[in-house]
Amino acid sequence: MSHWTIEQLSQRLAEAFGSANVAVLEDAAGALQVVLAEAGDLEITLVASEDQIHVSTPLVAGAQVQDRAAFNEACMRLNPINPLSNLGLATVDGKDMYVVFGELSADSTEAQIVMEIRTLGVNAIDAIETLKPFLVHA
Amino acid sequence: MSILAKIFTLLRGTSTEAGQAVVDKNAIRILDQEMRDSATELAKSKEALTSVMAQRQLSANRGSTLLAKRKEYEGYVQGALAKGDENLAREVAVKLSDVERDLQSEATNVQGMDTSITSLKTAIRNTETQLTRLKQQINTVKATEAVQRAQSAVSARHSGANSKIGTALDSLERIKQRQEEQGARMEAAQQLEHESGDGDLQARLANAGLVNDPSNVDGILERLRGPQRAVIIDASTETPEQQKLLAAESLFGDRK
Repeated sequence: MSHWTIEQLSQRLAEAFGSANVAVLEDAAGALQVVLAEAGDLEITLVASEDQIHVSTPLVAGAQVQDRAAFNEACMRLNPINPLSNLGLATVDGKDMYVVFGELSADSTEAQIVMEIRTLGVNAIDAIETLKPFLVHA
Repeated sequence: MSILAKIFTLLRGTSTEAGQAVVDKNAIRILDQEMRDSATELAKSKEALTSVMAQRQLSANRGSTLLAKRKEYEGYVQGALAKGDENLAREVAVKLSDVERDLQSEATNVQGMDTSITSLKTAIRNTETQLTRLKQQINTVKATEAVQRAQSAVSARHSGANSKIGTALDSLERIKQRQEEQGARMEAAQQLEHESGDGDLQARLANAGLVNDPSNVDGILERLRGPQRAVIIDASTETPEQQKLLAAESLFGDRK
């Protein structure tokens, strides 16, 4: 079992990111949300489970991608040069959603978790900036 | 098909919301079933290993006994031959040949069981690795499920009919907008400073006490339009402002 409870994590992350930016998600057990002001209010979801801490953020909806095949290949090529975070495709509320995520051991320290969240924010913004040419132009 | 492949097939085959829930349930169910199968297999393998190892021990014990017996009989045969009792020697040699046959048979048994033990140990190790992987996969699927539940919860927090999950793309737009706003603010500030080139002069004059509150400007003009009108102003008609000025004049001795 993780040595972190979601309450402890929420408290420590509130110190790092501001209490207004950290909220425990009541509808989902073991989950909390961090709004990353430095990354354009990017919403990062953290889930603490038995043996890992999973942090993720939605990159872009599948529907906003113009050429999915080209985008997928670009993601695959971008992935190895994206430190600490991975790109992936998930289904959220029945819709395809590209996500950026990272996994940490459940015994990670507060500093490692904070670092992971900040890196995830930077990586997500960098990734979407890089991948923007593949998106549907509004 | 590997377990990962099974789950992947499930994930690919469904993309509706209902489908997602089915996948989550099925993935966990498949993994739980695989876990149970592996656990059963592991228990069976361990039981088989224990039994084979016990049999091997018994066989090895029998082998040691036979080996001792063989040595004993060899002694008898040699003794009988030394005494020239060919018949007795032959009689014992027949028994010795039985012992040697049994000895060979036990050796074959032990070798066979050693092979079984090695393969059972390998199977147990593999099953244990498999169980660890299954446990990790169950945890990953559960974590993924929790993440998706969390993301749904996040999207539900966005009130309004067109509730939509905020993505990195939205944040990028926000960052750019903020940068633009920041840029525009800085530009405006610079322009303002430029335009009010005399604003600085105003500030310095004010600091030097040479300019007053703008509401006083008209009063000052009025006062200075006519020569020395201020001194003939009747004290009863003076405004509090003028009274203060008069007090200041007398204090600093300017117009005495």
